[in-house]
Amino acid sequence: MPQLEASPTLDFRSEAYKDAYSRINAIVIEGELEANDNYKKLAEHLSEHKDELIKLARMEKRHMKGFQACGKNLDVTPDMDFAKKFFAQLHDNFKLARDEGKVVTCLLIQSLIIETFAIAAYNIYIPVADDFARKITEGVVKDEYMHLNFGEEWLKANFEMAKAELEEANRQNLPLVWKMLNQVAEDAAVMGMEKDALVEDFMITYGEALSNIGFTSREVMRLSAQGLAMA
Amino acid sequence: MFGLIGHLTNLEHAQSVAHALGYPEYADQGLDFWCSAPPQIVDDIKVTSVTGQVIEGRYVESCFLPEMLASRRIKAATRKILNAMAHAQKNGISITALGGFSSIIFENFKLDQIKRVRNLELDFSRFTTGNTHTAYVICKQVEDAAPGHGIDLAQATVAVCGATGDIGSAVCRWLSQKSGVKELLLIARNQERLNNLKNEIGMGRIIGLEDALPIADVVVWVASMPKGINIDPSTIKQPCLMVDGGYPKNLDSKFSYPGIHVLKGGIVEHSLDIDWRIMDIVAMDVPARQLFACFAESMLLEFEKWHTNFSWGRNQITLDKMEKIGAASVKHGFRPLLTS
Repeated sequence: MPQLEASPTLDFRSEAYKDAYSRINAIVIEGELEANDNYKKLAEHLSEHKDELIKLARMEKRHMKGFQACGKNLDVTPDMDFAKKFFAQLHDNFKLARDEGKVVTCLLIQSLIIETFAIAAYNIYIPVADDFARKITEGVVKDEYMHLNFGEEWLKANFEMAKAELEEANRQNLPLVWKMLNQVAEDAAVMGMEKDALVEDFMITYGEALSNIGFTSREVMRLSAQGLAMA
Repeated sequence: MFGLIGHLTNLEHAQSVAHALGYPEYADQGLDFWCSAPPQIVDDIKVTSVTGQVIEGRYVESCFLPEMLASRRIKAATRKILNAMAHAQKNGISITALGGFSSIIFENFKLDQIKRVRNLELDFSRFTTGNTHTAYVICKQVEDAAPGHGIDLAQATVAVCGATGDIGSAVCRWLSQKSGVKELLLIARNQERLNNLKNEIGMGRIIGLEDALPIADVVVWVASMPKGINIDPSTIKQPCLMVDGGYPKNLDSKFSYPGIHVLKGGIVEHSLDIDWRIMDIVAMDVPARQLFACFAESMLLEFEKWHTNFSWGRNQITLDKMEKIGAASVKHGFRPLLTS
C-alpha cells in the first residue's frame, strides 16, 4: 500500500506564491463584489425577500473586505483586471437574465454556481492557507452556506415552475465554471490546491443543492457533470 | 436504514457500469474524471430476513478506483472515502459498511484524524468495516468446503496470505482456536506484525508465499492488492482449496486448474431474494442472493438494531464478536457461499 506523502511546505512569502496569490485573491475579491451587486439586483426583483437579500449583499461586502486584508497581509496587490475578465461571461449572463426578468437563471448563477464555486474553493483552501487567511476564510465559508441556502429554498418552493429554466441555465453556465477552473488550475496548484479536489468539492455541494431543490439523483448526476468532459 | 459504501474493481469496469446504468457523462471518462467524481447513491435496497423482518438500505458508490492507489493519486483516494462517508451520514443512514478498499484506506491513511468534512462532523459510530462478518464467513467457508474436497482440517496445512491484516488476523485466530487446523502458514510483508501475530495465537509458521504454496492444503487469500496475481498451478498441491477473499480478487480471474478448487471468499448467500441491482454490477453469479459479507454485516446490525461501529480499528476482532455476528447471520438467513 503506498504511503501518503507529506504535503510540501508552502512559502507564503515567495515570489511564486505571491504571484499566484495576486490572481486568486483578486478573483475572490471580485467574486464577493459581484455577489454583493447580484444580491442587490435580485432584491429589486424579489421584493418579498428584499430585506434578506440586502442583508446577504452586505455580508458579501464584508467578505470582500476580509479578503482584501488577506492580500495586504502578504503584501500582494490583487490583479483586478484579470479577475474582471475572469468573471466577464458569468457577469454578462447574469445581466442578460436580469434584463429579461429571468429570476430563476439569476438565482442559479449567483446562489448556486457562484456560491458553490466559492464554497469549494474556500474548503480546499482552508487546510493550505496562511494562518491569517485561514481564520478569515473559515468565517466566510459558514456564511456562504447560508447564501446557498437562500437560493435553494426559493428554487425548492418554486421547483415546478423553475425546473425547465434551471436545466437550460445549467446548460449555459456550468461549462463556464469548468473553463474558469482550468484557467486558475496552475495558480491554485502553486497554492497547494489540486484541481480534481476543487472539481469534486464543487460537484458535491452543487449536487446536494440540486437534490435539495427537487431534482432526482439521476438528474443531479447529469446536471452536475454537464460540460465537464469537454472542458 | 443501513448503507453500503462500495467501489468498482477497475476503470474499465467503472466505465461499463456507467454505461449500463445510463450515465453517459461518466461512461467514457478516464481516471482524471473519476478522481473528481462525487459519491452517489445509486441503489435503494430492501432486504427481508427469514424471521420476516424487513429493512431498507442505500448503496453509495464512492467513485474510488484501485488505479488511484496504483498511480499514487492517494489524496483523491482518501477524499473518495471521506466524501462517501459524509454522503451516507447526510442521507440519514444509521449504519454503513465500508466495502472493499474503503476500510483499508480509512485505516491505512489514518482518516479517523479527519473528522470534519465540509460542513459536517463525521460520526464514526455510524460506520463498520464489516470485517468481523467477513472473517467469520471465510472461516466457515474453509470449515465447510474443505471436507468436500477430501481435505481433513485436523491434518491440513492452511496458508493465510495477508495474515496480519484485520481480516487475516481474525481468520488466523479462529482457525487456530476453533477449527483445529494442523498447521498455519502466516504470509505477510511486515515481520514485526507477523511475529506479534504468531505470539498472540501461539502457533503458525512465518513463511514467504512461494514457499507456502507447494505445501498448503488450503490457502486463504485476504491481502489488499489493487490487482490479482498469477500463480503457477503446477507447483500447488492437489487437492487444494483456495478461498479468495480479496476485492478485487487476489487471484487472476482466469485461474483454473484441475484439483484446485477456488471459492469466492467472504461472500454470503441470502435465503430470500434481495431487491437491488448492484450485485449484478459487481458480477455476482446469483445477484439477487449473493453479496459481500461486509455488506451483510451492516444489514445484520440494522436487523438487530446494533447501531454501532461493530467492526472498527485494526486487529480488534475477537472470537466472541465473530460468534455473535455469526449467530445473527444464521438467524436472518445468510449462508457462506460454498459453490465455486
